[in-house]
Amino acid sequence: MSRVNTVLGPIPAEELGFVAIHEHIGYGMPGSELDTRWWKTPEQRYEETVPKLRRFHELGGGAFVDATGICNGRDVDHYKSLSAKTGVHIVACTGFVGGDTALPHFARADVDYLTRQFVHEITVGIGGTGSLAGVIKVGVSRGGRMTDLDKRIYRAAARAALATGVPILTHLAIDAENAVAIFDEEGLPLDRVLFGHVDDGVNADKTRDVWIAEQGGRIGFDTFGYETELPDPPFWARPRQERLDHFLRFVDGGRRIRQVLASADANCSPLGWPGVKGHTVNYLFDQLVPDLRAAGLDEAAIRTIFVTNPAEFLTLQK
Amino acid sequence: MSVKSTTVNTVLGPVPADELGVVSVHEALLSVFPGAEHAFDIALDRAEIFETLAAKLRDFRAHGGGTIVDGTGMFHGRDVRLYEALSRTTGVHIVASTGQGPEELLGGYFLTPQTNPPTPWPAEKFADLFTREITEGMVVPRVERRGPAGLVTTAVTRAGMTATDESLLRGAARAALATGTALSFRYGADAAGELDVVLDEKLPADRVAVGGLDRKDAVAAGVPEKIAGRGARVVLDHVGAEDDAHLTDAERAALVAGLVRAGHTDRILLSVGATGVAKGHPANDLPYSHVLTAFVPLLRAHGVGDGEVRRMLEANPRDLLAVR
Repeated sequence: MSRVNTVLGPIPAEELGFVAIHEHIGYGMPGSELDTRWWKTPEQRYEETVPKLRRFHELGGGAFVDATGICNGRDVDHYKSLSAKTGVHIVACTGFVGGDTALPHFARADVDYLTRQFVHEITVGIGGTGSLAGVIKVGVSRGGRMTDLDKRIYRAAARAALATGVPILTHLAIDAENAVAIFDEEGLPLDRVLFGHVDDGVNADKTRDVWIAEQGGRIGFDTFGYETELPDPPFWARPRQERLDHFLRFVDGGRRIRQVLASADANCSPLGWPGVKGHTVNYLFDQLVPDLRAAGLDEAAIRTIFVTNPAEFLTLQK
Repeated sequence: MSVKSTTVNTVLGPVPADELGVVSVHEALLSVFPGAEHAFDIALDRAEIFETLAAKLRDFRAHGGGTIVDGTGMFHGRDVRLYEALSRTTGVHIVASTGQGPEELLGGYFLTPQTNPPTPWPAEKFADLFTREITEGMVVPRVERRGPAGLVTTAVTRAGMTATDESLLRGAARAALATGTALSFRYGADAAGELDVVLDEKLPADRVAVGGLDRKDAVAAGVPEKIAGRGARVVLDHVGAEDDAHLTDAERAALVAGLVRAGHTDRILLSVGATGVAKGHPANDLPYSHVLTAFVPLLRAHGVGDGEVRRMLEANPRDLLAVR
């Protein structure tokens, strides 16, 4: 049986359709909730979010994977209402964006405790919501190298993935040798891991995407749209054509297409930062898919990237 | 009543300072270790928490207590609306605090912000964050502001002040200075040096309460006398503690008697450092009333008079908390 955990309950993977594999309803660093400069009324949050999700659905979007970690403003009750009202399947995550977004209770925890936290959120529920996490988020802290805490989180994620069958999404794919070593030690097949943000403007040069793919990992070109062409680009932006060329080079005429996933990492309604004006999940339909067609990818290839690969990846492997 | 003293910001609004009664200045009501609110194995049952805290506040009041200061700041489980209901229900004045620290207990928003490079927050930004919790009201995160905080609080890392700890101390001092509110900090490794940082911000010494001064290492180094001698408030905030790090109550009573004899009565503040309800960290389950029921008799036995006791328990905290 194919099964994917969404915030409204498990669904068959066949129902996912076109998937945005790494997105955010709203992201904020832990503690940003104390700073009123970022606060929004519930009216404003819905106003910023609902039209984007509805348009995503109208353009053919089926599922939205929210990669907002445990302490980053993850709000599953909000996601449930959005999903129910827009028809977009929303997959929530357990885990942390990086060690530097884990609050002290988790920063002090050992691998066993972190594992139990993740397994609980995948099998029992996230807080009191009753919703099960469908992916595990891990990541590399600011600074470019995995910290001891990052490594504990990766190891716990590997154990929870093995115990529950859900896959792992990473924030950044730098320092991948350490990550791969941990997954190998834990016996987790690397096709259960999506090494994300290989296309990030700051780190792309330092990211060994081909090497990770050779080890068997899945590769996320999942910051599409954070480009220097924007009116006010963030520091991780990159020229559009450069990112597209990187993607096509990686796919290598289809040779590695079964290992690649793509997304926009946009915030529908950012929680603790200004967000990036003009960048939404719908970049995938408005810009990326036409760019891929123009580059010569056929409909089957596009379906592989956005439908087949995500469905395989998200399906619980038990 | 001191001519300077006016009102104190409690969770139910300003209260005339001379109505506070006996004050315990360093306590915790609901104390949640940051992140524990997301833990799979920790439950936060508000009704149960309320019942536990209300019973402890009633016990405090029954033994002569008037005011509890929740000194845990803005990011350690503070729940302003719960405290409002508790104060209304029990008749105990509750003063809640703004501030946070030490560095290890901050969220990533303050330490690794989404800038390149991720520079930690400077003093000025902490000053603004804390000041607005007094001029505009304490935050219920992403929902609303409530009444103004009655105290600015922070803490320094036990192993020694980090750069961000210093930003927190300076920011807290600036917020205190800008609003006429007092500053309380739990010292790290060097109370006198940390006090210097605060005084460098031009906050008058008598607006500063230094916590943790009944630690054995502080007392062995004569730190309480030094801090009192500089005009700051000495907070002995582990009354009743039975552990390796702190004085016993008998030793603490002798310390207080010595400070009183040395003319420092006006500088002394006493507290239990109890955690009414603790989540995600070990509790200090002593009753808030422990100072009144157990420690005051010890002070009397050490020759401290009723007048001095009243100054320590009522006048000194009143002077500290009154907004200037």
